[in-house]
Amino acid sequence: MQLSRAPRRSRRRRAVAGIAAVITLGAVALAGCGGSSGGGGGGGNADSGTLKIITWVNPPAVAALTAINKEFEQKYPKIKVQLQTAVNVATGYANLLQTSVNSSSADIVTTVDQLQPLPLHPTRKSETPTQFWSTNDVFADLSGQPWAKNLNDAAVKAETYNGKLVGLLSGVYQELVFYNKADFTKYGVTPPKTWDEFITLMNTLKSKGVANPLWLGLGSGASVYVTRFLAEPFMNSLWAPKASGETLAQALEKGDLKWNSPEMIQVLQREQQLAKYLEPSYTGAAWQDMPNAFAQDKAPMLLDGSWDLTSVQKANPSMDVGSFALPGSNDPSLNQPVANQDLTFEVLNKAPDKALAMKWMAFFASPAIYKQYVDMTGISPIMKSGGPYSSFSSKVLGPLFGQGFNPGDVLPALSADQGFWDTATQWPLLQESVMAGSKTPQQAVAMYQSDWKTG
Amino acid sequence: MAQAYRTPSKVRLLSRPSRLVMWGGVALGMAFFVVFGIAPAVANIAISLTDYSGLAGASTSFTGLDNYTTLFTTQWPGFIGSLGDSLYFVIGVTVIQNAIALALAHRLQGTGRTASLLRILVFLPIVLGVTVVGIVWLLIFDPQSGPAQAILGHVGIHSAFFGSGSWAMPLTIMAQVWQNLGFTMIVFLGGLKAIPPEIFEAAAIDGVNGWQRFRRVTWPLMAPVVSVNVTFAVIGSLTTYNMIYILTDGQFGTNTLGIFAFNTAFGNTADLGLGASMSVILLLLAIIVALPLVAFLQHRERRLLA
Repeated sequence: MQLSRAPRRSRRRRAVAGIAAVITLGAVALAGCGGSSGGGGGGGNADSGTLKIITWVNPPAVAALTAINKEFEQKYPKIKVQLQTAVNVATGYANLLQTSVNSSSADIVTTVDQLQPLPLHPTRKSETPTQFWSTNDVFADLSGQPWAKNLNDAAVKAETYNGKLVGLLSGVYQELVFYNKADFTKYGVTPPKTWDEFITLMNTLKSKGVANPLWLGLGSGASVYVTRFLAEPFMNSLWAPKASGETLAQALEKGDLKWNSPEMIQVLQREQQLAKYLEPSYTGAAWQDMPNAFAQDKAPMLLDGSWDLTSVQKANPSMDVGSFALPGSNDPSLNQPVANQDLTFEVLNKAPDKALAMKWMAFFASPAIYKQYVDMTGISPIMKSGGPYSSFSSKVLGPLFGQGFNPGDVLPALSADQGFWDTATQWPLLQESVMAGSKTPQQAVAMYQSDWKTG
Repeated sequence: MAQAYRTPSKVRLLSRPSRLVMWGGVALGMAFFVVFGIAPAVANIAISLTDYSGLAGASTSFTGLDNYTTLFTTQWPGFIGSLGDSLYFVIGVTVIQNAIALALAHRLQGTGRTASLLRILVFLPIVLGVTVVGIVWLLIFDPQSGPAQAILGHVGIHSAFFGSGSWAMPLTIMAQVWQNLGFTMIVFLGGLKAIPPEIFEAAAIDGVNGWQRFRRVTWPLMAPVVSVNVTFAVIGSLTTYNMIYILTDGQFGTNTLGIFAFNTAFGNTADLGLGASMSVILLLLAIIVALPLVAFLQHRERRLLA
């Protein structure tokens, strides 16, 4: 009897022990996952390990970072760099960025929202996520890093909060009109300096059989380009001069200027008029195809950012490209390109391996590597010394290289605490409705004004 | 006697260690379900009553029903429109998906190689996944270089397709239907196979034609399967956001509640509290639609099978 019971007890114990082991292992595995993704180490080993960098699919920047990471790994063979990308900066990457910061699961993150200028009254909802993180010690202070001394004043000012340098701005890019010089010669036209000249130019091209004078792809979720390529330059040319003693953004934030002003109506009328010269179905034309479409001469002009010039060159190396600022005004002195901050690298304070991240930042900021990045991406440099730079965009932009206005001085924060039509997502969609003719400029500005909450 | 009566109930099919392993597995599964299913759902309801942003280090305040008030007033006008878009999407997907799947199941229920191959082809989009299916449809309907425009251009149709207010929703519905058609068809095939062949033989002897056979025999006997497919299609399409995210990101009249909640929570605004309140409403909407629908379908089953 005893002989028969003992093995049964033993089997039971083994079974219970087995279940306990499975549960314990599961718990340990979960805890392990939490530990690695939760991060919070803030220290780490600078000699070996895996460094995780996140960014979005911006082909020239990703290509440059991939090349630089390879060189970094060659110099430090015990370190592996993992570059994770999300497809779209406006949606997919915003999600990846937020979850990575919240879980401290990356060492270096890249952002494109400007830190400065901050909103008039910075609150959790009026700040962009990048601004919020920057002002709440999420990003490591980079002020003491040796390479920081080589940053120009604008780059330091752009990324400094409370005396702390919270990001390494990679450079500045311009948003303007690019044109095919061969086409302009063929049709006997010259780059315009004023709005009237621009419309005349496009009418001339149409009269000579050019179906699509200007290319702009808004498809695949690129409505934000309405804000950046059209609204901001038009607002700067037509409206910013009215804001005396303050920026247009500040005037709107304070309520000194109203959205339903004649100048904003004129901005929307310009957009509506310009839409007639864009490629058909521009709202469905994928933004990713813009450089190729231009390189294949589907249109003699392209409304785009200078980051796409490397793709244009790659698609058609023999193409001779010129550029001019989108002329919103008939006063040439008021027409400037948008000079936007390009991606900024930030080290998370709770990065899994902060020391490794700092090592990569120093490597990136070294003159030879930084020159490589500038030349590959075509952005304008922000280092005091270095170069000379020989990118394709520096030749295309010529005197405009690195020049232009800061869009943060023109367009105030379109934040979550504004009404529906004044949030960043909806603001350009209303303008698309105006461009398509389903809303009038007067209706749109009334909607902007009625939803706008001043500080 | 009582003892003798109770003994059979104690007969165990599994030994005690096996039962322990079995219940251990169940407990582990339940633990995962509670941690990753129930807890987030409850937390979502709690978040919907706050201004939680998800931003690391941000303070969170209890805001009561403010988020819900915002949604149902003109402060957030897109919400009412998104209910209309959701309704359009749900009805479109449910009707078209079930109609086509039933027709295909009826035609492809044979055992031949061609029928088998065609069944695999119809089922293939499920294997491909939402992202691949979405990109395929975007490429087909690219207004500049897609084959759809090349063909439709011959009959004078030019459109931005997924960038057009009139085309985007019908195309999104078609993409969703194409993705899920295989599953619905398989369920219908199962229902068709379960009908005893003698019934069809009897109907043939009675001289009924093809349409009458479908209407008087197949359709009533398929009622339980129709109920399953309609319920799945309604709930599935009501909560869909991923396909729309890839195709239009909720623009051009495709801003259903699912994608609107996602974009509000994770888009540029990062307003997780407001996004959570939308998803709570989506849950309530699913319950409000599903319960009467299931009751109606069950009533219909009883009536047709009576």
